[in-house]
Amino acid sequence: MTVQTSHRRGGGYLERPAPSGLADVIEIILDKGIVIDAYVRVSLVGIELLTIDARIVIASVDTYLRFAEATNRLDLYEKGGKDLSEFVGDMAEGGASKKTSGAVKGVKRALTSGSDDEERRPARKSSSRRRQTEDA
Amino acid sequence: MTPVVTSGTDQDIDGPEESADTGYYVYGVVKPGEGRLPEGLTGLDQQPVELVGSDTVAAVVGRIGLDRPPGRRAELVAHSEVLDALAATGPVVPIQFGSVMEDEASILDVLIAPNEDYFAVLLEELTGRVQFNLRASYHEHVVLAEVVAADPEIAELRERTRDLPEDAGYRDRVRLGELVARALEDKRAYDAAVLMDAVVPYVVDHVPREGAGIDQLLDVALLVDEERRAEFEEQLEGLAEAVHERIRLRLVGPVAPYDFVGGQ
Repeated sequence: MTVQTSHRRGGGYLERPAPSGLADVIEIILDKGIVIDAYVRVSLVGIELLTIDARIVIASVDTYLRFAEATNRLDLYEKGGKDLSEFVGDMAEGGASKKTSGAVKGVKRALTSGSDDEERRPARKSSSRRRQTEDA
Repeated sequence: MTPVVTSGTDQDIDGPEESADTGYYVYGVVKPGEGRLPEGLTGLDQQPVELVGSDTVAAVVGRIGLDRPPGRRAELVAHSEVLDALAATGPVVPIQFGSVMEDEASILDVLIAPNEDYFAVLLEELTGRVQFNLRASYHEHVVLAEVVAADPEIAELRERTRDLPEDAGYRDRVRLGELVARALEDKRAYDAAVLMDAVVPYVVDHVPREGAGIDQLLDVALLVDEERRAEFEEQLEGLAEAVHERIRLRLVGPVAPYDFVGGQ
């Protein structure tokens, strides 16, 4: 079933990869599922090694240096003829879609307007909404 | 409970006999019944899968040598293939990868019997539903440009450090990175909430998944009603188009409902 069945490719902006590689499979299944009590379970040897070290520890100096480095690499875009504010401004205007639903338009507005406005805040945290739709 | 053991295929006699050296690899739990196991389905070590359990709840298992040399890639792929094949034909509760039990008695007494009601309810809830994994990530240069444009201190630190040799301006660099990291966190919280507002009406349930990286925005497992699947996919297609200049959306699935069985 991980092989993709036919699906509409509307604008083609939504990526629909079929999980094929080992990394995809690890990502989907690792640490997921019902855990049987440890004392009756015999884990296959070596599985711990799979916990791939792809996670960044956010509050470390190394991470900050990476972020700084990425930010400083931006000059590519600046020297391309536009300054940064122009670039951001363009993003806010461009790409209006012909056939998006009302809800999606709302999203676009929310995601592109005032992208330099420090005051905007999420209405609610998405993570706290688990199961709220359960009884819907 | 009257334990019954049904065999998934008629060739499981080929498998290693139950002994001190062989056990059962456990893939998941299903509601047993005629044709519940896809014909000829095999798992780890090409062993046929079988059902072990009661007449309401059964574990899907395959024989496995307890002293087998460790392998990884093939096992992971086999595990996910069996579960996805089961999910394609009905509800299944995935068991965590790498779970091996010694014999049929322990499957029945430890896994099935004490949890029979729990599994039955869970299987009922999962009927007609599939999981998708949604990942949203920023186009890194776009979001970083926004961050620089929005904060004069970031812009100033960037001006000051960008042309310095790598070993200079260490403190400014760390400060710059810290400010950028924080700005991204705020942005993420806001954008993730907006995206979820557009997705939540189309799903039954959602659970955040771990993700990381400068460009990471949102990683979430979604439980979707089969009946509304087309509608859901259409909504995501539209969403992806609406945000594509800043954000990439990646949808994987359907997969077995790994994130909706309350594990851990």
